[in-house]
Amino acid sequence: MIRSLDRVKRSRIVAGLGAALTVTLLATACTGGSSAPSAAAAKPAELRMLYTTDEANSAAVASLVPQFKEKFGIDLKIDNQPYDALQQKVFSEFASSSSYYDIVVVDTPWAPALVQNLEPLSQYLENGALNPDGPQSNVGDFIPKVFYDTAVYNVDSPIKRYPDPTAKPDASAIKNAGFDVYGMPVQSNVAVMAYRSDLFNDPAQKANFKAKYGKDLTVPKTWDDYAQVAEFFTQPDKKLYGTTVMAGVGDWATDDFKTLLASQGGDGTLADQNGKPTFDTPEGVQALDYYAKLAQSGHVPPGSTSADWGTTAESFGSGLTAMTINYHDLKLGDNVKGGTIGYAPVPIAKAAGPHFGTWMLSVNKNSKNKEWAYQAVSWLTAAEQQTTMTAKSLHPSRTSVFASIKSDNPLAPFYHTLGKSLAEGVGRARLTNYTELSHEVAVAVNKAATGASSPSDALKSASDKVSALLKSAGY
Amino acid sequence: MKATAAPLDATLTVDASRRADGLATAGPRGRKPLTWKKRSTPWVYMAPAMFVLLLMTVAPAIFIFYSAFRNDKILGGVGKFVGLDNFITAVTNASVQHAFLITFGFVAVAVILEMILGFALALPLAAQTRANKVGAALMLLPFAVTPAVAAMVFKQLLNPNYGWLGYYLGVFGFPKGVDLLGDPTSAWIVLVILDMWQWTPFIALILMAGLQSLPGEPREAAMVDGATPWQMFRHITFPAMVPFIAIAAVLRTIQAFKTFDSFKILTGGGPGESTEIINLGIFRVGLQSFNVGLACALGVVFLIILSLLIPFMLRIIGRRADPEEM
Repeated sequence: MIRSLDRVKRSRIVAGLGAALTVTLLATACTGGSSAPSAAAAKPAELRMLYTTDEANSAAVASLVPQFKEKFGIDLKIDNQPYDALQQKVFSEFASSSSYYDIVVVDTPWAPALVQNLEPLSQYLENGALNPDGPQSNVGDFIPKVFYDTAVYNVDSPIKRYPDPTAKPDASAIKNAGFDVYGMPVQSNVAVMAYRSDLFNDPAQKANFKAKYGKDLTVPKTWDDYAQVAEFFTQPDKKLYGTTVMAGVGDWATDDFKTLLASQGGDGTLADQNGKPTFDTPEGVQALDYYAKLAQSGHVPPGSTSADWGTTAESFGSGLTAMTINYHDLKLGDNVKGGTIGYAPVPIAKAAGPHFGTWMLSVNKNSKNKEWAYQAVSWLTAAEQQTTMTAKSLHPSRTSVFASIKSDNPLAPFYHTLGKSLAEGVGRARLTNYTELSHEVAVAVNKAATGASSPSDALKSASDKVSALLKSAGY
Repeated sequence: MKATAAPLDATLTVDASRRADGLATAGPRGRKPLTWKKRSTPWVYMAPAMFVLLLMTVAPAIFIFYSAFRNDKILGGVGKFVGLDNFITAVTNASVQHAFLITFGFVAVAVILEMILGFALALPLAAQTRANKVGAALMLLPFAVTPAVAAMVFKQLLNPNYGWLGYYLGVFGFPKGVDLLGDPTSAWIVLVILDMWQWTPFIALILMAGLQSLPGEPREAAMVDGATPWQMFRHITFPAMVPFIAIAAVLRTIQAFKTFDSFKILTGGGPGESTEIINLGIFRVGLQSFNVGLACALGVVFLIILSLLIPFMLRIIGRRADPEEM
């Protein structure tokens, strides 16, 4: 009797659990799927956004929160996390299929792994009711290379790239080519050169340079000139060095190398669309050889072989160097009396190919407010809002925003260079394990820069390791 | 010790047999044996905490072992059982072997140096004077500082362009602008010194407490017999301190194997891969590349090695701690 009762109870429990599971699965299907977006979707009281800190100018985006509330009547709650913590948070949110955040900021190296968890936006872009400010949210206004590198993916094969990265972006054409749009570019970072214009314009420096090298002192356009100018300005007794390198083990070292590799005519993405490394080449050896020689020349500050992008910004800002290459505008400290900054594209050898990578705002596939999240993303990345955010040093991603920056803007020279460089930028390989590739390349760059290994040996070793890593990841 | 142990054992045996026979009348000292309800009461109180403990420690451990045999993707997709593949990668990869090797090297060097220096600090500070109390309080500061903050401060001090260290080395005639973190040997020296700065006080405080708890009579007797300070240290203080040394060594060793922040902030594993200890590797593989299976396998291999090492260490030091074996 007791056993039969138990059996009855057990069967009821199982049935109950089954029903609960079914309801949960159905609910998940309803919220997690990609049903057609509707402008009539219920308006939420709040939208939650997961964003980074200084890496993508969080202050600029935060400054728009009151205007957003005024425009949509919705509170925009932004959670900020520093880089490592943000990456872990983003991945754990998606791993648990959480619907907590409606909008998530995505850095380019993460996108291939995350793309299946991001809401494809072409159906939203093609819905006129959701785009009151312009057809397809004016995606044609985004800098083509930036847009395709950042936001356009084939979800079944994220390693693939859109065939024509110079075409004017168009959601229908993208969809017809088997791709989709997975976010809106919000902060476009690219390697640019900053230099001390006060030193370059100093008549005494100009005369000295002419006397020493027999030619005028100009902002270097080639890597050979760059090394020469770096040599000229280096005066360790006056605590002045020519330039910087970011040769510490980290993504920054890989980025420096990428830029040089592309400028030598190599494949600056570091791996092709078949998942094969492309950096152990004659161009790669040339690029790393140049970098190692510069690092060991004495024309960069001591400590450059353990420097990162923050260290180099600090070195330039404190007046320690005459030039630097970094991803954002720079400021000189109060100790650098009379110092002024100029900007120029990074030098080239055979081609232009500065490293670039852009943050995008994406809609969480599990969000319960996808229509409103899309509208928020669209509004935050629209030309008007991007222009407003340039007051807080946001790096725009739209052609019209760069064109609208007037010469009286104190950052006009930076924005001019930024826009030009973005149009020529070279992104990263689209791999789900790009971080591992980047680490191996950074180790090789560091070994060559410290003289622990020859450039060719370092690249050969890194290429072998990367091949094994890519193979184990299924490429 | 053995003379007192026998009656205790006998008492326990009698108690156990009485319970087994159902003769729950009175204990050996006239106390009534506890009823089942009373005996279970502590377990009831402890149950929530034990449940949380199981949930927080055992459940993740089981999951880690499970994941180590699979190639699951953190963001979905079909994962599968891959047998020992992750473990084979973990133990055959040259970078991983190097990481394990340098981790053990770091722990051995750091712990040995900290034990020696900690003992050397504890000896003079053990005397309970006012100055020593102030000294002991000051010693608390380094290990009260968060390791990440300590590493960041060290990094600024070591900056070859603006750091204090470079400046004072220059004042004393050493070369200026030396990049200590750019060379494997000096980077290792810096990492060990930072660890020593932070954790030697921890050892010193444990040993100081041990020294203060030692009975004074053997030392007084030795002084009467005319023993030298070295003889007293060699034959009285040190043998009596071995159990405290063992505790300090084991605690510090476990802690040292968990070192992460200082390496991440100061060197990031460089120059090259020369300071990439296994914890940095696990972080990179698990939390940056999200290769969960391999990261779990690395964690399990590390756990197995540690599980073998700590009892081995305890046996070695524990035997020395037994007065009958001295």
